[in-house]
Amino acid sequence: MLRHLLKLVWNRRRVNFLITLEIFISFLVVFGVIVFAVYYVDNYRHPLGFNYQNVWSVQVEIERKSDDSDKQQHLDTTKQLLATLHDFSEIESAAAVWGAPYSRGNWQSGGKVQGRQIRFWGNFMTDDAKDVLGIKIVRGRWFGKEDDGANYKPIILNQKTAHDIFGAEDPLGKDPKEKYDKDDKELGEKPGQERKTERVVGIIDDFRKNGEFKELYGYEIYRNDLKMPDGQVPRAIVLKVRPGTTAEFEERLIKRMQSIAKDWSFDVKTVEQMRRENHTEYYVPIAAFGLVAGFLMLMVALGLTGVLWQSVTQRTKEIGLRRAKGATAKRIYKQILGELLVITTFGLLIGVLVVIQFPLLDFLGFATKQVYAYSLLISLALIYALTIICGLYPSRLATKVQPAEALHYE
Amino acid sequence: MLKNYLKIAFKVFLRRKFFTFISLFAISFTLVVLMVAFAFLDHVFGPNPVESRKERTLGIYFMEMKTPDKNGTWNGTTGYKFLNRNTRNLPNVEQMAIFSEQKQVVSYRNGEKIQSYLKRTDGEYWEILSFHFLEGAGYSAEDEKNRNFVAVINEATRQKFFGNESAVGKTIEVDGQNFRVVGVVENVPFLRNVPFADVWVPISTAKTDTYRNELMGDFMATYLARSAADFPAIRDEFKVRLTNVEFPDPKEWNSMNGGMDTYFEAISRELVGSRDDNGRASRPGRLLAAIIIGAILFMLLPTVNLINLNVSRIMERASEIGVRKAFGASSWTLVGQFVVENVILTLLGGALGFVLSRFILQFITGSGWFPYAEFHLNVRVFLGGLGLAVIFGLFSGVYPAWKMSRLHPVQALKGAVR
Repeated sequence: MLRHLLKLVWNRRRVNFLITLEIFISFLVVFGVIVFAVYYVDNYRHPLGFNYQNVWSVQVEIERKSDDSDKQQHLDTTKQLLATLHDFSEIESAAAVWGAPYSRGNWQSGGKVQGRQIRFWGNFMTDDAKDVLGIKIVRGRWFGKEDDGANYKPIILNQKTAHDIFGAEDPLGKDPKEKYDKDDKELGEKPGQERKTERVVGIIDDFRKNGEFKELYGYEIYRNDLKMPDGQVPRAIVLKVRPGTTAEFEERLIKRMQSIAKDWSFDVKTVEQMRRENHTEYYVPIAAFGLVAGFLMLMVALGLTGVLWQSVTQRTKEIGLRRAKGATAKRIYKQILGELLVITTFGLLIGVLVVIQFPLLDFLGFATKQVYAYSLLISLALIYALTIICGLYPSRLATKVQPAEALHYE
Repeated sequence: MLKNYLKIAFKVFLRRKFFTFISLFAISFTLVVLMVAFAFLDHVFGPNPVESRKERTLGIYFMEMKTPDKNGTWNGTTGYKFLNRNTRNLPNVEQMAIFSEQKQVVSYRNGEKIQSYLKRTDGEYWEILSFHFLEGAGYSAEDEKNRNFVAVINEATRQKFFGNESAVGKTIEVDGQNFRVVGVVENVPFLRNVPFADVWVPISTAKTDTYRNELMGDFMATYLARSAADFPAIRDEFKVRLTNVEFPDPKEWNSMNGGMDTYFEAISRELVGSRDDNGRASRPGRLLAAIIIGAILFMLLPTVNLINLNVSRIMERASEIGVRKAFGASSWTLVGQFVVENVILTLLGGALGFVLSRFILQFITGSGWFPYAEFHLNVRVFLGGLGLAVIFGLFSGVYPAWKMSRLHPVQALKGAVR
């Protein structure tokens, strides 16, 4: 049966070549969209690691002097701001962070561990950030008073980074920098500054600051102690507000903050709103490309139906002869669909061969093997479904051919 | 002869309406996507009433600063100090203006939050660009020098702050500072980086004066040349100026790179520019090529689809071809006829696509995704769409026409073709 179908397809190779080409290109288009969709869905499934309800984020913009001479003054202002914020009855807790959830900009660091390049994003947070953002500790503890004046720098890792650096070892109480390969140890340090050892005090599941759709990445959180000279001037202040606090509070809040920090600029948003904006940035391109791809597929489907219809009309004689020799309508139906499936499989085979080259060429390198495999399967299923739907009507048409009509065709 | 072709073409289109519908759908959809993309590019790069002298304008948008070992790079918008000290009085430049990148700021008015984009500019900015003032006028270089807290706002901002009333002379609070409104301009589209903002205020009103000492910072500049022919001379001088930059700490940063570009060149430098130790070179040709290749790749599937459909319909025309061939029509004549037929069909589809694009662009304009954007189907977009339709018609018509013309007359008359 299959050999016979192959022969039939080969006999009409000129026409079938064009259909194969069309299916091949359609497959590439569908795969291109599906791989992004699967990648985003896969990212979305993983835990976010923080709470965005009833959290406000005040982005802070400060024009800093390049020589850092104004740092102490800005640290004092930060302390003063945080103290003032606690006076508001609407605010449950407040913390200063380097990067607020869903805010732009990442601060990346990393090093080599046993020859492997480790990368992670970092953040500086004051102690209250855990309450504000609802960060959950998996093992160990969050920063606290016991770290005041300690001779180490307390840090918290997410599980990915803990695994990247320490493997199966227990990271608690250890210094990640000790694990770095020799020549990388001095990385990221200002010359002349005495290096404090770092100590992992806790492990979090994750802190996906860039949102649910962003890739899974390493993360390190450093304690920001505003009392110390190595404290960091924050880029945002995050607030946990009482449920039911309305936008009306915004104006009072900003006026108050502005009166304390006159040369800073503030922009307040709810983290929920920032989340919506962040999601829109992912939805819009996927929707636009998905829409265009969807219309392309509709066009291909209509075109394919037309071509198959035409070819059935052209083969009236052949089909009539088969009917006259006793083939049932069902077998004709099967033949037409079978031929179509052979052509489709052929086009998809070339498509798959091309697509599996992509990871080797590091094209679409963001997708893991799993994401890749799923996208491949979904795209294959979609194209098969598409061609079968296109083949249904023309195959039915073929079964209606009357032997008598066909035989006196000329 | 063309009239005859037209007649035949329409008869053929009407004969099998389903197929004509499929073809028209494919063609118009393809052209809609291309025309919307074209309108978008035109909106970003094409002429605009505010930038009326665009063809003789150059700008410095992004620069690159490097460490002595060339490993550290600071990429971004330029600093005020560099623009002010190193790029004034370039030969053949009539005028220059420095302005900051627009930044999102908030104001509150009667308990309501107003978000706007704030741009800090010098006084010359209002002379180089041709804003249309609804009331008042721009501030002057004098205002900038004296640190006067004056502002120009756009129509939308006036509406938000003052409703339908006149705004000149009134005060607005933006980003915690108070400004007296001196002018109101028509809204400028978001995607036009140079003129766009909601509120414009003098540079000197910045909260601190740290910007004065920055080589890299938040600023950009635009330069009005005497004519486009002077661009090479200006760029040469700019290269010399780059070698004269004084670095406060040459051990930290000791070189700056970048170029004076038209907007398209600047974008090409960012997107497809090749990188080396001397920064990124601008590659407008490469960006143009990338856009054209993108359009061709997109057209690939519709083209194959249409070729497929046309080829499978050869049989319909077999008897006609047989008769014409038997009476001595050459293959070339037939190819010509079928290609013309296909181009007519694509032009029809193009017209349909044009109408559809109008609605889609209207929808995008109304959606507010790009503040103050107005996507139009103007003459440029129309001509672009027409060109695309013809190219598409030729692409998808030549192969089927060639196949049709090769039918053997005897076979064709019998209607037996494989």
